[in-house]
Amino acid sequence: MDRLVLLLPTTTYRTHDFLEAGRTLGVDVVCASERPNTLEAQLPDHFLTLNFADPDGAAATVAAFSRSHPIRAVVGVDDLTVVTAAAIAERLGLTSSGVAAVTTARDKYQMRECLAAAGLPVPRYRRLALKEDPFLAARGVGFPCVLKPLTLSASRGVIRANNVDQFIAVFRRIAALLQRDDVTVSGDGAEYLLAEAFIPGVEVALEGLLIGGRLHTLALFDKPDPLDGPFFEETIYVTPSRLPDDVQRRIGDVAVAACAALGLAEGPVHAELRVNAAGPWVLEVAPRSIGGLCSRTLRFGTGVTLEELILRHALGRPIESLDRERQAAGVMMIPIPRAGRLRRVDGEAEARAVRGIADVAITAHPDQALVPLPEGWQYLGFIFARGETPAVVEAALRDAHARLRFDIT
Amino acid sequence: MSDDLKTKVQELIDTMINPAVAGHGGYVELIDVQDSRVYLQMGGGCQGCGAADVTLKSGIERLIKEELPEVVEVLDTTDHASGSNPYYTAGKG
Repeated sequence: MDRLVLLLPTTTYRTHDFLEAGRTLGVDVVCASERPNTLEAQLPDHFLTLNFADPDGAAATVAAFSRSHPIRAVVGVDDLTVVTAAAIAERLGLTSSGVAAVTTARDKYQMRECLAAAGLPVPRYRRLALKEDPFLAARGVGFPCVLKPLTLSASRGVIRANNVDQFIAVFRRIAALLQRDDVTVSGDGAEYLLAEAFIPGVEVALEGLLIGGRLHTLALFDKPDPLDGPFFEETIYVTPSRLPDDVQRRIGDVAVAACAALGLAEGPVHAELRVNAAGPWVLEVAPRSIGGLCSRTLRFGTGVTLEELILRHALGRPIESLDRERQAAGVMMIPIPRAGRLRRVDGEAEARAVRGIADVAITAHPDQALVPLPEGWQYLGFIFARGETPAVVEAALRDAHARLRFDIT
Repeated sequence: MSDDLKTKVQELIDTMINPAVAGHGGYVELIDVQDSRVYLQMGGGCQGCGAADVTLKSGIERLIKEELPEVVEVLDTTDHASGSNPYYTAGKG
């Protein structure tokens, strides 16, 4: 039986779907987290504790483990684990993009440097040291601009500034965010932030799978809610895209070029781009799959999940089809409207009853302390819809969301 | 047969599983055994925990199947959305 190491942070939404994919494929899954599982002592062959902030150390631990437990594949399920997964794969000769490429893609500044050097369209950018005086740091930065941490994800800490006063406030706000106990950053990610030009336009997300250096586009999502700031909370994703075919082709071409420039060659890719009259602009190319529970919008071939595709690729198993189902599909990440504690949720049954709604998953728990963006990184839950057209799907998501009532005090 | 299996599963839960998950403020309760399928409920820190799937599928189910090969599946009946004190809480990363 093939053995697969899954790198599963204790805070990831992705555990269930990746474990189900492992079960479907009949592989022996070894779960590696940053903290010991309660049953690790009883099942040392099936649990590992790894320091995801130390990829080389984690790779050494897994290499030692692999001497008695041969490993066929390693997969990091989200941003926190992709560099460690690449380090393990490189050490053991497993399928993955290289550590250098993944490390570059994980740091927004390094990624911009690489893409700009390759001549790809990226916003004008500057890296700023957090120890700088923000008033002085603002010199030479045009407005409007967007400030963002180098390594956080899910739009956490991404804030627009329209003038120097806002820039200074945002600069200090991000510096304070990086000091929070629930923020894990190290190296440059703890010492710098990125300031870049705000690019007006619509935003899309491209979900892809790299196989032998070739990028296969699995889905292109429209984000129909405007993302103009001051925060950039993602809400609705709908696929297929309603953009004209030629624009979609240009987005695909830019994503292919971006992966090549970064040196990404194997595994999932989640790229975010802005599109305006000048064409597509690359905001991010992350060497991982789509976050949260959003992958549940995607089914391939005869109903294969995205997680199964990713594991099949990592294991070197045949992939029947990379074609997404014909129906339109979408997800709404339910935003946290304000800080407080979640007391109760009403309207779930009404939301589920909306035509086209496939599921409503409330992931926040009762009494959970809720932190909205830009400091937070969680959602109240996810709404999933399927329908004949993207417009029908979007309408169903909005209708279902309107029926949910969250008591937050 | 089912009662006998139920007794063995309960012993495993009492001696191997609950002492371990208690370290995270959790517990596991045996609801029933039907047709060699074990139905469990997770409580305390396990209810709604971001690592509950790992603990159940890669831990509890594996332990039970190793000790009792006649068990075909372990199913979680927990309403994780109602867990008010999960040990780990998920976030989008």
